Amino acid sequence: MEIEDWRDEIDRLDEQLVKLLNARSQCAIELGRLKRELGLPIYSPDREREVIAHVTGINHGPLERDAVRRLFERIIDESRSLERATVEKETNFRAKNAKARKVPKKRS
Amino acid sequence: MVIVMDETATEEQVSAVIDKLVRLGFDIHRSTGVRHTVLGAVGDRVIDWRDIELLAGVKEVLRVTAPYKLASRSFKPEGTQIKIKDVVIGGREVVMMAGPCTVESRDQVMAIAEIVSRNGAKVLRGGAFKPRTSPYSFQGLGEEGLKYLRQAADRHGLLVVSEVMEPSQIPLFIRYVDILQIGARNMQNFNLLREVGRLNKPVLLKRGPAATIEETLLAAEYVMSSGNHEVIICERGIRTFEPYLRNTFDISAIPVFKKFSHLPVVADPSHATGRRDKVPPVAQAAVAAGVDALLIEVHNDPENALCDGAQSLLPDQFERLMHRLRLIAKAVDREVAPGVEEAALK
Repeated sequence: MEIEDWRDEIDRLDEQLVKLLNARSQCAIELGRLKRELGLPIYSPDREREVIAHVTGINHGPLERDAVRRLFERIIDESRSLERATVEKETNFRAKNAKARKVPKKRS
Repeated sequence: MVIVMDETATEEQVSAVIDKLVRLGFDIHRSTGVRHTVLGAVGDRVIDWRDIELLAGVKEVLRVTAPYKLASRSFKPEGTQIKIKDVVIGGREVVMMAGPCTVESRDQVMAIAEIVSRNGAKVLRGGAFKPRTSPYSFQGLGEEGLKYLRQAADRHGLLVVSEVMEPSQIPLFIRYVDILQIGARNMQNFNLLREVGRLNKPVLLKRGPAATIEETLLAAEYVMSSGNHEVIICERGIRTFEPYLRNTFDISAIPVFKKFSHLPVVADPSHATGRRDKVPPVAQAAVAAGVDALLIEVHNDPENALCDGAQSLLPDQFERLMHRLRLIAKAVDREVAPGVEEAALK
């Protein structure tokens, strides 16, 4: 294959990666909502360790184990951030609604 | 904020730090290195970084952003210009603020206002309430002094800057002055800073004799966070181990203030040096270093001055200094207003 062919191949793989990363992020958002409902903390260190152990465990290279860990640390960072934003948004939304409901009650 | 973990930090310790930061509302960028784990905390929450530094396993905490927001250069990259009547502080012109240390009499302040305005000054300075080191020194004329300043300034088309010492004086000051000065000793009088922060009047904030640049900008932040964004920072010398002059003028603070903050900077070589023969060279250096204004004491009879006569320039010294400052300003792409005679020649 020529340079261009390899680059095309990388582009196709990147497209799949973006699709997969977004699917993974959607899970994080849903998880954030559930954690909020159940009053669970956003940050769960044990679960993060599990994820890292899992992905490094199934890795057969050529990426080194540490490289996979570093890549997933960044992915986890973004998921945690997304979960936090989701919880914050929901909390603010509920607080606003609660206020809005209170006002007409007082009038009646 | 960047947190560097100890080489020996356990995974539990790293988790505890992440947990604390997430609870505080930060997003974390974790990077596990060969020796050290580094955590980047992203977010604009203001916290006491020592709380993080004291956690087990933390080697050091590096602050990336300044603790002040409104005063920082990034808040207003183009720089602040303060317009008062037809005077702009923070523009191309280096504005001269000059006058006696203390208002002693109506005649004195009238005579000095005439001298400074004839030489291109735009603002008349003068103390009416004096924060003297000794309670037995002359304490100022009070409201009478403010009245004389206003009259003299109006007659010669000048603005007035004078020091307000406590919140109770504010109603009086806003009737007479155009710029409120906060003295060096009051730089961390947070109550006074908040009070002048509620006004719609520019504030000239003097750096305390033992204040760092960051502390000075945090003092400005107090004024600004109360609503008043028109703050001028004044470098007036700091206390060092050198006893020859009253203070050591911190020339390098000028470009540092200009880099970290968008606020205009004024230099006060009179208080910095405390000796009139040392005032002109420091004033010239300050203009070369990029100040937006100068605050200089001028007296028509310094031998008999009631306050700080030794650091006041004589009228002819002031005239010579202004002439030199015009040349220096031109060399650094700024300008100093012409005196009456130069203006007439043009």
